Amino acid sequence: MAGIVTASIIGGVGSIVGGLFASGSAKKAKRAAEREKSRLKAKLSNLEANRQEIINPYEGVQDLSSMISNPFANLSVATGAAEIKIEQADISLANTLDTIRQTGGGAGGATALAQAALQSKKGVSASIEAQEKANEDKKARGQQFMEQRAVAEAERLQTADVKGEAFVYGEREKREQQQLDRTASLIGMAETVRAQSQADQTSATLGMIGGITDSLSGIASGGGFGG
Amino acid sequence: MKNENLSKNLYLRQFNESNAIAYSKAFVSNASNYNFQLLDNAYRNAGKIYANLKIAVETNKCQSEHCSVELLQLKQLEEAPQISLNFLSSLMAELSVTDEPNFDLNNDYRYTVASSLMSGKPGYSKTDGYNAYLDLLPDGSQQIVFTGPAFYMPLIVNSSALSSLAISNSSLIASTPDINSEMLRLLTEINVFAADAVDQEGGLKPGAKITEEYVMMNTDGSVDYEIIDLGNGKGRNVFKYDIDKIEKKVTPFINAEVAGLMSSEQDAVAAWNVYISKGTSVEENAQMVQNANAGSSSWSYEEDLPLQQDKKVLFETKYKEYFMNNYLKQFITNQIPTVKEDAAVFDLAEAKKAKAQKFLKDNNLN
Repeated sequence: MAGIVTASIIGGVGSIVGGLFASGSAKKAKRAAEREKSRLKAKLSNLEANRQEIINPYEGVQDLSSMISNPFANLSVATGAAEIKIEQADISLANTLDTIRQTGGGAGGATALAQAALQSKKGVSASIEAQEKANEDKKARGQQFMEQRAVAEAERLQTADVKGEAFVYGEREKREQQQLDRTASLIGMAETVRAQSQADQTSATLGMIGGITDSLSGIASGGGFGG
Repeated sequence: MKNENLSKNLYLRQFNESNAIAYSKAFVSNASNYNFQLLDNAYRNAGKIYANLKIAVETNKCQSEHCSVELLQLKQLEEAPQISLNFLSSLMAELSVTDEPNFDLNNDYRYTVASSLMSGKPGYSKTDGYNAYLDLLPDGSQQIVFTGPAFYMPLIVNSSALSSLAISNSSLIASTPDINSEMLRLLTEINVFAADAVDQEGGLKPGAKITEEYVMMNTDGSVDYEIIDLGNGKGRNVFKYDIDKIEKKVTPFINAEVAGLMSSEQDAVAAWNVYISKGTSVEENAQMVQNANAGSSSWSYEEDLPLQQDKKVLFETKYKEYFMNNYLKQFITNQIPTVKEDAAVFDLAEAKKAKAQKFLKDNNLN
């Protein structure tokens, strides 16, 4: 019944009316698919435009080599004890000299005393030399350790740079691939719907053309329409 | 105009959906004449005109120099049937929007009348005072004219204008977006649910829960439950969620969704008028006699398009509220713990006391 009413409204033959409905529905579906595509594209653009920056987690890695120092670089020689020892030797020698004078000791005693003083000071000097040698050794070992640490720090920094770059590259690659995949998927889906709607519309139009040929045959027979 | 559209569309919807016409003695006792014969009438004299033009050209009796006018008219007449079919099918596609269940009543009501007429609904026949005719215009375009009691002046739609609208992705009548589907899909996109909470169709599985990343925790790493009163001195734990954190996570996705909607501002206006403005859910709308409409806070297609920035900002804010209240809220309210022991019903007084003790201990207040 509805079909008859619609045929009265539109006019022409039944295939035109049926075709108009089918074509109308296909057009509506096509429009909806096109709009959905536009909507999703705008949404995707917004998402992409407002994504968080890809952060290099290694970016904050600092060169700590300046903190590496040689704790043995400036070791002081313990001269205090040596000085005390020398002072004590000097006092002891002075006391001995006084005793020699008081007891009327001769020059031989004074010579022996001077030699003793020399020996004592030589001992002190040797002790200082030994300390200085030990310090030099420690300083050298410290320097070697410091250089090893500096090389290790430089390696750590290089590794961080490489890892950071690899991370950023990997993340960007992943995101871009995701975007491409999603966009392609969206376009594909919308295109499928649009193409199907277009096919439906074409099919409906072909049906109508047959109908309109019949319907307007009166006009055509009067010499009209493409004759 | 917008209030007129609202009231008249509402009346038309109720009229079309009710069975009242069956009880109209005048309607029942008379034959309804739907014989508008749009195509037949449009082409009634076309044959003669075509023949005359053809003869004039072939016998070189044209009125214009080199028969330019006559040849143009012939070309237009030859193309006219295809244009008619395209035009009518496009128009029917447009008018069918008025039958959609979430149709925005702020659309021009005259299209609802035209749609009722074109689909042969009772009460819109020639007998009821309505008429429609298709005109072939001298410029090659065509127009359809609707007249009748519901039209304060004839409604005219031009084929060329309709094609232009379609090319610019605009419609005569705004179709309201399927907000329910959009919001359900949005739920799966905001990344607050675990990946395995989404089914193969892209929807949330039953029992889907927001990940524990958004659950409030105590300083000792235990879950900070909220205790709800079940009555009869009993209570149970429910999750407390970090709403700020969720909102922060969700906002970019909502903004993107809104940007998508704004790609067709007339769709956005329809969504505003039907759902967003008053915050009514799809379920509520279905229950409403008048269907959802923004009433006094509705936006007018004629006056408010293009949308100003303040309206876009307002839309975004309300859209977010709508999503949070109608879709996300159910996942952050009364969520039972996943750990069996924590989910058990307990004595409320003891639990509250224990919680108070814990608070005192945690804050060194003992």
